[in-house]
Amino acid sequence: MAALNSARRSERMRLWQDGIFVTAVWSVGILGFILPVSIVAFLFYRGAGAITWELLWQSPRSFPLGSSGGIRPAIEGSLALVFIGLVVALPLAVGGAIYLTEYTASDRLRRAMSFCGECLAGVPAIIYGLFGYSFLVVFLQMRFSLLAGGITLGLVMLPIILIGAYEALRAVEAKYREAALALGVSRLYAFRKNIWPKARAGVAAAVVLAGDHAFGSAAPVLLTASVIMSKGGLDLSSPVMTLPSHLYYLVSEASSLEQAYATALILVLLLLVANVSVLLIRSRQGR
Amino acid sequence: MTVPNADAKPFGRTASLLSPFRGWEDSPQEVFARLLFLLLLVTGVATLLLVLVMVAREASPALFTGTGLWGLLITDPWEPLSQPARLGVRHAWLSTLAVTGVALALAVPVGFGIGMFIAEIAPATIKKMLQPCLELLAGIPSVVYGFFGYVTLIPWFESAFEMATGESLLAAGLILAMMVLPFIASTSAEALGAVPRDVREAALALGVNHCSLTCRVLVRHAAPGLFAAVALGLARALGETLAVLMLAGNSVAVPGSLLDRGQPITALIITELGEAGVGSAKRQALFAAALVLMTVVIAINVVIGALKRRILHGGA
Repeated sequence: MAALNSARRSERMRLWQDGIFVTAVWSVGILGFILPVSIVAFLFYRGAGAITWELLWQSPRSFPLGSSGGIRPAIEGSLALVFIGLVVALPLAVGGAIYLTEYTASDRLRRAMSFCGECLAGVPAIIYGLFGYSFLVVFLQMRFSLLAGGITLGLVMLPIILIGAYEALRAVEAKYREAALALGVSRLYAFRKNIWPKARAGVAAAVVLAGDHAFGSAAPVLLTASVIMSKGGLDLSSPVMTLPSHLYYLVSEASSLEQAYATALILVLLLLVANVSVLLIRSRQGR
Repeated sequence: MTVPNADAKPFGRTASLLSPFRGWEDSPQEVFARLLFLLLLVTGVATLLLVLVMVAREASPALFTGTGLWGLLITDPWEPLSQPARLGVRHAWLSTLAVTGVALALAVPVGFGIGMFIAEIAPATIKKMLQPCLELLAGIPSVVYGFFGYVTLIPWFESAFEMATGESLLAAGLILAMMVLPFIASTSAEALGAVPRDVREAALALGVNHCSLTCRVLVRHAAPGLFAAVALGLARALGETLAVLMLAGNSVAVPGSLLDRGQPITALIITELGEAGVGSAKRQALFAAALVLMTVVIAINVVIGALKRRILHGGA
């Protein structure tokens, strides 16, 4: 009888335990929803009203910074930096990934390179900023400039795109390569006609994600390219305003909270656009 | 197809690296493409390695002269203006440690919970919705997190704890926890999901409930992956810059409690680098601090890489 009672008790204990466990896991799972949604909703709520035509199209005026005028030079500057970064990073990363998946038979090289890529993708962006500062800005005498910042952002993106493109190309089954080569076409032809169309979407997704990461990353830009205020106009050898650094300056000088909300919202909106386009790209590929 | 004579190749051993598939036609176009792609790969990786070398080179004088690494990390205070300048970064790495500790203390349990939720409990539709949410959380730029903390947490700290300024290591750590959460969550979900089916079925066949299955069986099998998740979060937290710069308060005093202001290594570098002349001892000290940070992060990544390989090869 005692044994039966204790068995019942432990049965009830286990039910309790399981109930608590499931509830706890559900609630942290829901927290995973609430956190991002509430951050984005908060920025929408406070920032949406501040985004006006004037803000998007005008240069900042007056002092302190951001108390009137717009952020157009910052938008232009960020876009130009990412563009230059992509010009640097895309050929190196995608070309390198193509070599690794299509041309080398050495598994050791492949493993070593993807390992290097993963390690380098983990290196904090500020380290790339320091390199840009000491090598490009000072040693090569580029000064704080669009070019130095663009190359630095290119380096930030390079390992991310390299890994993404490598994974996308590797995901194409070997049978397509083998079938094409068995028909006697050249490796380049097989790649162009058979492999690339299948891997394209995955590579594009990696590029969009890397580009967005670079767009929002302030540390490397603060060390190589950005100034508090510029009248607009882009020149490879002069510094630029960027959205993330603008947001940082606005907060650190406590000048215009309203413009800061708008800038933060624009950064997040861009992220949403990037994420949605990646989802679309992936779903198109899935078809 | 003509089979090229291996001896006729000019490169000897490298020839096998350049053209592993002997016997397919080496048209000039093919050779050009192959060399071009190889060149791109080598240039890319070499440039990235140059980053590491340059940072190490700039840092080396601070490591091998004066009080050296010991002085830099342990004994010296940060007094760049005293005569002679004393350039220790003890306050910075203590701050980094504090914010990272707070972040992981919060993000690891919650992240594991979300990982278990995704891997075990969530219905498929909710799983599908949760993943983009986590990607969103991972994608929000550091500076936006910093701003978000600045307008929400800091005023709240000021009223709740009656602090003069709400900027503190705790505030930075809280925001940092949100930033590393998605990385820990998705990596641990992956690790738990990768536990072989038969293990799961064997446990269920014994009649265990969700709790025992997850906490006793799956966690043991997924241990390397869960460890990798923590390591990834740690590496992310250590290198995070803008958010901690905006929230930790940027004070060079050695922090005594979590409610004190502090200055993590990354914040120290951004704040001081502009005023450090080329070749000055201060600049070398900043690069040395960065080198320490970089070495730690790369070491963590090497561990993660090793763990991942172990998971992929079925051991656990």
